[in-house]
Amino acid sequence: MINLFKMDLHRFKNNRIMYLLLFIYAAFQIFGIFMMSQYPVEQGGIPVSAMNASEFIQSVLSQTPSWVLMYVAVFSVYFYMSEYNTGFYKNYISMKNARMYSVLSKILILGLFVLLMLTTMVIADLIGRSIFFGNTAIGDVGFFIKLLVGQFLLHWAFSIVVLCIAMITKNLIASLVIGLVLGLNVPGMIVGAVESLISDLNVSSYLLVNTITSIKDLNNMGDVIHVAGVAVIFILLFSFIAVRYKLKEDLK
Amino acid sequence: MSQAIIEVNQLTKQFKAKTAVHKADFKIAKGEIFGLIGQNGAGKSTLLKMIGGLMYPSSGEIHLFNHAVSDNHAYFERMGLLIEDAGLLPHYSAYENLDLIAISYGLKGRKKHINELLKLVGLDESNKTKVKNYSMGMKQRLGIAVALMGSPDVLILDEPINGLDPQGISEVRKLILQLNKTGMTIIISSHILEELSKVATKYAILHEGEVIEINSKEELQLKCEERIEVEVDEARMAIPILEEQLNIKNYKVISDGTVYVYDTHIENHQITKVLVENGISVHSILKHKQSLEQYFLKRTGSEVDSHD
Ligand SMILES: Nc1ncnc2c1ncn2[C@@H]1O[C@H](COP(=O)(O)OP(=O)(O)OP(=O)(O)O)[C@@H](O)[C@H]1O
Ligand SMILES: [Mg+2]
Repeated sequence: MINLFKMDLHRFKNNRIMYLLLFIYAAFQIFGIFMMSQYPVEQGGIPVSAMNASEFIQSVLSQTPSWVLMYVAVFSVYFYMSEYNTGFYKNYISMKNARMYSVLSKILILGLFVLLMLTTMVIADLIGRSIFFGNTAIGDVGFFIKLLVGQFLLHWAFSIVVLCIAMITKNLIASLVIGLVLGLNVPGMIVGAVESLISDLNVSSYLLVNTITSIKDLNNMGDVIHVAGVAVIFILLFSFIAVRYKLKEDLK
Repeated sequence: MSQAIIEVNQLTKQFKAKTAVHKADFKIAKGEIFGLIGQNGAGKSTLLKMIGGLMYPSSGEIHLFNHAVSDNHAYFERMGLLIEDAGLLPHYSAYENLDLIAISYGLKGRKKHINELLKLVGLDESNKTKVKNYSMGMKQRLGIAVALMGSPDVLILDEPINGLDPQGISEVRKLILQLNKTGMTIIISSHILEELSKVATKYAILHEGEVIEINSKEELQLKCEERIEVEVDEARMAIPILEEQLNIKNYKVISDGTVYVYDTHIENHQITKVLVENGISVHSILKHKQSLEQYFLKRTGSEVDSHD
């Protein structure tokens, strides 16, 4: 396991696409803040420029399409498919438990990417807000940390869902399209619409992307449990599916 | 009888509409070079993928080192694979590819091991070219190096000479024989029997997913050797005449009335002439000659009418 992870980590570190994605994201994010300063907007009655870091991040993540999800989807598909398509896995897959470990190692790498992605977001936001809003307030640090940890887990779960899709479709374009459709929260909107038609059930709010995009009050225990629960369940469920699938898969 | 290191029983792989391998049975002993020959689509790669642990059989069993692998997949660990294309990362150099694999194996002293392997397969270790810019032959060589990375007990090479120039083919052949000397068991597939015959010690002919024949090297030679089959009343009378008058030294008495002559410089009519001149009646004389390729084509029922 450790060895496969080291190998994936090498591949991760030498991956120009990854740095490129992070860089483009940061540039766009800062540019986005510049645009907001030109055309002031408010959300929930607060002007964006007056928000603290937590409020700002929540407001950014709640706007679909969520760019962070798009980048995470692209990277998840790319990191898996770039190995799968070359058949590189053939070189190690016959090792003991390698099928399981190779999936777990991919999942850890995705976690690492999500971590970098969110770090980039926080830094880009701070830079952008300090330049264009003259506002670097973070607000309640406890809340801020809870928010980041929660969003980290949720985004990680999302990347694992996309990994599963890439593994099962075995197709770069198809998995990218599905990943982006998920990132746009199309399923969440459909379920939400159906729900509002038929009953007062509220399943859709427990969908992953809905949880990511909805603004939560993390000072409220219920919301914390909601976020943590959804994240953990999705992470476990889709990790399990991915490992199961790899164990049974016929490799080319 | 040496121990079977690989044994497959009734091994079958069914794809949706297609049975790629159908009830294959064979054993491979330690130290053998097992040649698997079949036309395009015969199921060679599929069979090797099952033996190499990449694909799961639809039914049947694989035993490696006397253990059923269905109980423990770890036995696949001892196999080095080059099946279809080598799995190489195109944006990395040969060294980097091997280094990544070495990392995944947790090897110590990677640099030394990798450089030895590169040298063994005839690639320049200082070459920084990315693998995507490699020629077919270079990729193939690197693929062999990759397969040898984990110092396997069994080396599986699927059409290893694909894309190699004649010099490369002869180098790979030498390499195979050299590795085999160290005790490595080797499975090698090809659609050219001629090529396999230069290395293999045992041959399986695979046709439309079925193993239709397994020959030892000797059996195959017997089937394909060039000889003149002479039938006379008494072979022992004919021998001295053939020896003295035609200077034939290479022959074998098969039965009282049958002699096989292996000297290729002799023509049928010369034999008939001397024997008749010496009062020995010749019942039949037949030139037996088929190339390995003809034999293979005949066995797989795809011989085309030729006018030669
Ligand atoms: N993943 C797959 N799904 C469906 N059919 C497959 C699959 N892999 C192989 N086949 C089919 O199984 C048959 C055997 O294929 P295989 O690749 O084993 O042949 P081969 O002997 O290696 O041929 P070649 O000499 O061309 O490499 C072919 O008809 C092929 O179309
Ligand atoms: Mg093949």
